[in-house]
This record gives sequence, structure tokens and C-alpha cells, in this order.
Amino acid sequence: MASIWSLQFHSLCFPVSKHHRVFQFPNVVKLRNEFALIDAQLSSNRLSTNRNVQLRAVGSSDQDQPIKTETFAVALNTNDPVAEFQGFVTSLPPVVFVMKRYGGRNIAIGLCLAAAFLVIAVRAFMARKSRYKKPGSVADLVRRGQLRSDRRGISRPLKYEDPFNNPLVKVGKNNSTVEMCGKVYRLAPVTLTEEEQTIHQKRRSRAYQWKRPTIFLKEGDSIPPDIDPDTIRWIPANHPFATTASDIDENLAQNNVYQKHGVPFRIQAEHEALQRKLEALQSEQKLNNLVIDPTHAQDFERPFKLNSKSQEPVEQNPFSNQSGNSPRPPKSDQAPNAFRSNSSSSEEMQKP
Amino acid sequence: MLSLLHTPSTPLNRFSFSPKTLKSPKPQFLKTPVQSVLQWNRKPQLAGETPRVVVITSGKGGVGKTTTTANVGLSLARFGFSVVAIDADVGLRNLDLLLGLENRVNYTVVEVLNGDCRLDQALVRDKRWSNFELLCISKPRSKLPLGFGGKALVWVVDALKTREEGSPDFILIDCPAGIDAGFITAITPANEAVLVTTPDITSLRDADRVIGLLECDGIRDIKMMVNRVRTDMIRGEDMMSVLDIQEMLGLALLGVIPEDTEVIRSTNRGFPLVLNQPPTLAGLAFEQAAWRLVEQDSMKAVMVEEEPKKRGFFSFFGG
Repeated sequence: MASIWSLQFHSLCFPVSKHHRVFQFPNVVKLRNEFALIDAQLSSNRLSTNRNVQLRAVGSSDQDQPIKTETFAVALNTNDPVAEFQGFVTSLPPVVFVMKRYGGRNIAIGLCLAAAFLVIAVRAFMARKSRYKKPGSVADLVRRGQLRSDRRGISRPLKYEDPFNNPLVKVGKNNSTVEMCGKVYRLAPVTLTEEEQTIHQKRRSRAYQWKRPTIFLKEGDSIPPDIDPDTIRWIPANHPFATTASDIDENLAQNNVYQKHGVPFRIQAEHEALQRKLEALQSEQKLNNLVIDPTHAQDFERPFKLNSKSQEPVEQNPFSNQSGNSPRPPKSDQAPNAFRSNSSSSEEMQKP
Repeated sequence: MLSLLHTPSTPLNRFSFSPKTLKSPKPQFLKTPVQSVLQWNRKPQLAGETPRVVVITSGKGGVGKTTTTANVGLSLARFGFSVVAIDADVGLRNLDLLLGLENRVNYTVVEVLNGDCRLDQALVRDKRWSNFELLCISKPRSKLPLGFGGKALVWVVDALKTREEGSPDFILIDCPAGIDAGFITAITPANEAVLVTTPDITSLRDADRVIGLLECDGIRDIKMMVNRVRTDMIRGEDMMSVLDIQEMLGLALLGVIPEDTEVIRSTNRGFPLVLNQPPTLAGLAFEQAAWRLVEQDSMKAVMVEEEPKKRGFFSFFGG
């Protein structure tokens, strides 16, 4: 096919002025020799008549003559490249002539090429546009290292909403088989009846007599009165993660669970306790400064008296009044059993 | 080994034979249409009162309670329901690992009880599906006061009912193994239960006992999921079939999950199986189980064995 195309090119280029072109374009002459060989091999081609003419035009001369012309042509080329280009342009056949001769085929080829280039260009443009369409997408986070790329692409939304009816689940024609994930399974009906279910329930109710424990006791604790011994769960003292003792009041815990806004209880209590402690320390420093300050002689006695009164509780027990004022002491200062409820706190089981 | 559904109107006792093993004759019911295929692209219809408080329990450890909780929970979230999954395993919590949320658990129910944080601060919202939230009951090293362990979960459920963004549709409670104090805590607020078992005799015995305890406690709506089923072993009669298990326990089937190596991979990655694309066999089974849970339906037909795939005349050419 390539040879045919090259032959066409040759035949296009040649007929205007063969000598002129031979002199000025030795490369073309060389090509022409090759074409001539190819052409000789493809003599059965339908364009053979035309090519024969060309072949004669090239091959009619002797072996030495083209060499001479070639050297001459080189000399010409080195002299004036502009003239060479002009000669090349003038040697080309007029477009109208070419179009008249091979118009239909070349137009079609040209149109195909143009369409292909257009499609490529449009695709590239669209790809570039889509790439920058979402500048703040998750892909950018992956690029920045904020998200792990191997964890992406898994949790895409469901393309099918019905897990029984999706492309991976195909029921056989006679409904006896089902194909899932490429494997075919035979179906069998579930035979459990409601009577059988009730029989099992009765069997279990006879076999397992159980009451849910409502009270948790540590080993060694005494059983409180009015408690069914079946509802007691004995917890060993060294249980790894269960304890019968709770350092928090039950009502308080319930309020904490139901709290929807604001600062959590313990955080607030700790904050208030710390604030109080800070205030106490600040007042202590202030009073000490007043005591130490010898410059104000006239105010010396009154502050000293006030100081002796107000400093006493602060210095003796700076945290004693905090626990009294605050609803809850800070965690660090909290005594282990300060708010401890009954060690064996009973649990009233209330089914919702 | 997945399963399909008949029409809800199909009576259970319609089928006269009892295929105990795989050698049972071909069922005669197959002439009737198996309405396994539901309507195309519809959201499952939520049955029952919300929030549905479901405890996922087993008795025996290692049968897949936590895997079931994670996968069913995220399936429900993908179906569009709001879900709160509570890891009630006090000492040995794992649900956060399966969900890949282990680094985001700062507060637990114990901190909420102590007043260190509010309940909404202890809920860990999944970034993949924002209608899925995780709540852990305690940190591994902290001790839960058992005096109001069960009560605490009841309070949590009540608080979730009345929260501002609305009550969740489902509250799934991942129960610890055994029938110890953790089990009692986990079943206290539950209205219904999903019992996970494997087709081996040890877990079946524990499952039967746990069902008995649940029924004594007043939880009547109990369905079972049979996990880690291998069709090749069932065919060789080395493993009990699902129908055998159902005959032993007498419970309605919620789902049958095949053994799948993808389960371990998904656990390693912190991504539940149902999020895998393309979906795996076990992931599809979990999705179907979640669908049935929403509609309070149960399986009416199970797939018992694998058949060689019939190939067409043009199958050689890819047809």
C-alpha cells in the first residue's frame, strides 16, 4: 500500500517538468529511482500506464548522467535555497489539477483525517476539562496525602438497590436454580413450620429456666432481703472488666446520658474547682503581698487584721470549701468513696 | 451459599418433603414460581416501630457476631436507614476495628456516664456513610460498673430516641460471647435478636442455650444467621446443611453466609465486606440478610449445593 501511495506521489510530482526537477531536487530523483524499482515490480497495477511514462523519464538516461546532474544540483542548492524553494513550489502541480484527477478519493481521505484529528482534539479537550472540573474533589485529598488512595473506590453508592435483583443474581428459567457471582446453586425450600417453631420454644422453656439477673454482688457480700436468689449475679472480685462498685451516682449518670447541650458535667465541675483553686491562690498571693509590703505603713494594721481572719481557712485547708461549694470535686482530688453509691447496686431491669 | 425469597404469601408448610440432607429428592415445589426477585430498584420497606433495637448474639465466640454487625449495619446504612451500632463487648471490643474507626473512638458510654462527655460526642460517625454511627460501651482497660450496665444501655436508647436529629431507624447491639454479665447488659434494651451460628455442633449447642435465655427474657422475635457455610463440605456430607441446622434450632432464617476469604481481607483493611466493589458472595448474602431484617422477613428457600454451570452451544466463543 505504501508503494502505491508513493507511486501516486511520484506521478503527481513528475509530469510538469522532469528536467527542472531533476536538476533542482536530487533527493526527489533518488526517490524516483526507488519508485521506479517498486513500480517495475508492481507492473500489474492499474496505474501502470502512467508510471511507465515516469519510469521512462527517469530511466531513459545512462548511468552517468544522473550522477552529473546530481552534483550540479547540489551546487545549485548551495547557491540559492530560496530559489530552490520557489522551484519546488512551481514544480508542484496545481491543486485544481490534482483535485480533478484524484479528487474524490483524496477528499474522502482528507475528510477522514480531519475528522480523526478533530475527534482526538475534542477528546483531549474534554479530558482536560473534566480533570479540572472539580478542583476540590476527594482525588485532590488523595494527591495531598490526606486520604489513603487504597481505601478509595470501595464505598461507592449502590448501583442496584435490591440485592435480590442485581446483575450478579440470576434466577434460572424453571426457578430451580439461581446463579450468583458466576456460580449456579440448586434451590431447596425451607420446611420449618410454625408448629415446629412452637414445639422448639416449648422444649427450650422446659429446658432453660432462667431469670435475668437484677442484682450484681461481689463474692462475700451478703444477700439483701426480699431478693430472689435466682436473680443474683455473682461477680468475682478480680473480674477483668466488670465491677460491682460504681463511683458515680445513678441519677447523676442518667442525667449525664440524657444531657444534650452544654458542657459535660464532670468537665464543668473540674473547671469550676480549678477556677476556685486559682482564685484562692490569687487571693493568698495578694494578701501575702499586702503583708510583706512594708511601704504602706498607714494601712499596715487593718490589712493585717483582715488578713489574719481571712487567711486562716485558706491556709489551713485550701480545698475544704471547694468540695462543699462545688457539686463535685475534681477528679484528681476526689476521694475514692466520696460519691460511691452502694457497692452492690441493684439493677432494676426495665424492659422498654 | 446464598438464599432467595418466595412471596411472603407462600405458606411455609406448603412443601411436604423434608430435605434433611443433600441427598434429598428434587423438590416438587419448583413448578411454582419462586418469587425471589423483588421489584426492581425499590427501597426496602421498614417494618415495625423505630428504633428497632436488635441484639446480635451467639453464645459461642468466633462465629461472626461482630462481622455480622458491621456488615448488616453498613448495608442498612446503604439502604438509606440511619443506624447506630453499639459495641457492647466490654472487655474485648472489636467492632471499631472491623469498621476502620479505631482511631476515632475517644469517648465511650463509660465516659458519658461519668460526665466526661455528652452522648453525641461519644457517637463516632462513619465518614463513608454518614447515617451510620458507632458507639462503644467502654475502653478495653476501663471497668464497667455492672450495677447499671443494662440500665445504661436503656438510657442510651432512650436518649437516642429523643435526640434532635431524629431517632435512628436501627440500633444494633453487638453482644459479647458467653452468657456473662456482658450478655445481660447487651440484651437488656433489645426487642429482637439475631442469632449467629456456624454449622458445627459446638456453636449449635451454645446457640440453643442462648435462644432459651432470650426467650426466658421475653425476646420472642429471634432469627438466625448461619455463617461460614461451605457448599463443598455440605455436598460431601462433612458439614450440616442449613436445613439441618434449622431443624435442630427451630428458628426462622435471616441469612446464610458462605465462607469467604474476603472476610479476612476486609477485616484487615477496616472495610466491611458489603462495601467491596465488585460485591462478593458473602457481601451479597449480608446485604440480603439486611434486606430481610428491614422487612422482618425470613428466608423461604435456601441454596443447598452448587451445580455445574450449563454451557450453551456458543459458550466456546464466549456466548
